[in-house]
Amino acid sequence: LVVVFPPLPRLRTLLQRCWGRLERGLLQGFSGGQSPPWGPALAVQAPAFSPQPAEDTGESNEASSLLDSILWMAAPKKRRTIEVNRCRRRNPQKLIKVKTNIDLCPECGNLKQKHVLCGYCYAKVKAETRLIRMEIRKKEGGPLNAPTVETVVLYDGEKPTEKDEGKRIIERARKRPSWFVQN
Amino acid sequence: AGSAWVRGLLGWARPERWLVPSSLFPLSCIHTSTSLQKFGKWEKKNRIVYPPQLPGEPRRPAEIYHCRRDIKYSKDKMWYLAKLIKGMSIDQALAQLEFNDKKGAKVIKEVLLEAQEIAVRNHNVEFKSNLHIAESMTGRGRYVKRIRYHGKGMFGIMKIVRCHYFVKLVEGPPPPPEPLKTGFDQAKEYVQQLRSRTLVNTL
Repeated sequence: LVVVFPPLPRLRTLLQRCWGRLERGLLQGFSGGQSPPWGPALAVQAPAFSPQPAEDTGESNEASSLLDSILWMAAPKKRRTIEVNRCRRRNPQKLIKVKTNIDLCPECGNLKQKHVLCGYCYAKVKAETRLIRMEIRKKEGGPLNAPTVETVVLYDGEKPTEKDEGKRIIERARKRPSWFVQN
Repeated sequence: AGSAWVRGLLGWARPERWLVPSSLFPLSCIHTSTSLQKFGKWEKKNRIVYPPQLPGEPRRPAEIYHCRRDIKYSKDKMWYLAKLIKGMSIDQALAQLEFNDKKGAKVIKEVLLEAQEIAVRNHNVEFKSNLHIAESMTGRGRYVKRIRYHGKGMFGIMKIVRCHYFVKLVEGPPPPPEPLKTGFDQAKEYVQQLRSRTLVNTL
C-alpha cells in the first residue's frame, strides 16, 4: 500500500510563489528583446544587416519605382481600326477649306488674294527696282557714298523739271513703264 | 457592237509605238529597260477610241486622263489636295491650288496645266476653261527603305515615301453639288426600308 500525501498547503503556496517569480523574471527578460537562453533557437538565421545592402535597396527602390512608373505610362490598349482612323482623318475639320478671298488683279489679270499684293505686278516692280539700284550703285561707286539729296529716276527722252533742281538724277535706258508715274 | 469592240481594241495598238525600242538607234543604246517608261493603266485610258456617234445621239463629252508618277510626297497628305479639287472647274481648282501652301499643291497645279494643254492639243477641246475635274486620286508610289541613325548606336528603318497623282478632266461645266442628306431624308429612307420588307421563303 502506497499512501501519497498531498503536499501540505504551505508547501503548495511556496511552490506557486517561486514559480510566479520565475515567470516574472522570464517575462522581464523577454521584454528586454532577447530570447531566453534556454528558449528554442531559430532554425534559420536572419540575414545580417550591413551598410552596403542599404544602398542596394535604395537603388532597387528607384528601379522599381521607374518600372512602376513605366507600368503606369499611357499606352494604347487596342489597335485603332482603319474605320476609326478614316473617321478621324477625313472629318471636315481636317479637310482643306475652300478659299473665298481670291480675285483677279485689274492690272495684269492674274489671280491674287484680296488682302495681298498681286504677285506678278510685285515681281515686275521688284525687277525694275533692282535695275535702278544697280544704276545707283554704279553712280555711287562704293558703300557709304549715299548723297544727302533726293533721287529722281528719268527714263528715255525725259528732261529734269524745275522741281528736280537739287536732286540726284538716275538715268534708265528704257521707256518709262506705265505703272511708274512721273510727278 | 463586235466591230466597235474590235475598232476600240485596234485603237490602242498603234504601230508607231513599236518603233520606239532603241535597238533601231545604235547610238542611243544604253537605256533599253525604261524606254518611255512602262505605261500604267491610267495612261492607256487616253488611247480608247469610240466609234463615230450617230446623228441623233447627244454629244459625248471629251475625257482626258493624266497622271504623274513617283512624286516625292506622301499619299495621305496628297489626298487632302485631291479631295479639295474633286468636282471643281479647272479654273477654280487652279486658283485654290495657287494659294495653298502645301508642297503637293504646286505639283498638282503643274499636272492640271499639262492636262489642259493635252486636252486642247490632242483631244479636240474647244475652250480650255470648259473643263471640270471628274476624278482626282492619289496612289502609293514605290517606297524605298533607308536607315535612320539614332543616338547610342540605335537605328531605325525609315521609308522614303512617294505617291502617284491621277486626274480625269471632262469637258463641260462642273456638275451641281449634291444636296447634303438631312436627318429627315435619312429617317424617311429608313422607314421606307422597313416598309418594303417581305416574308422570305413563304407563299
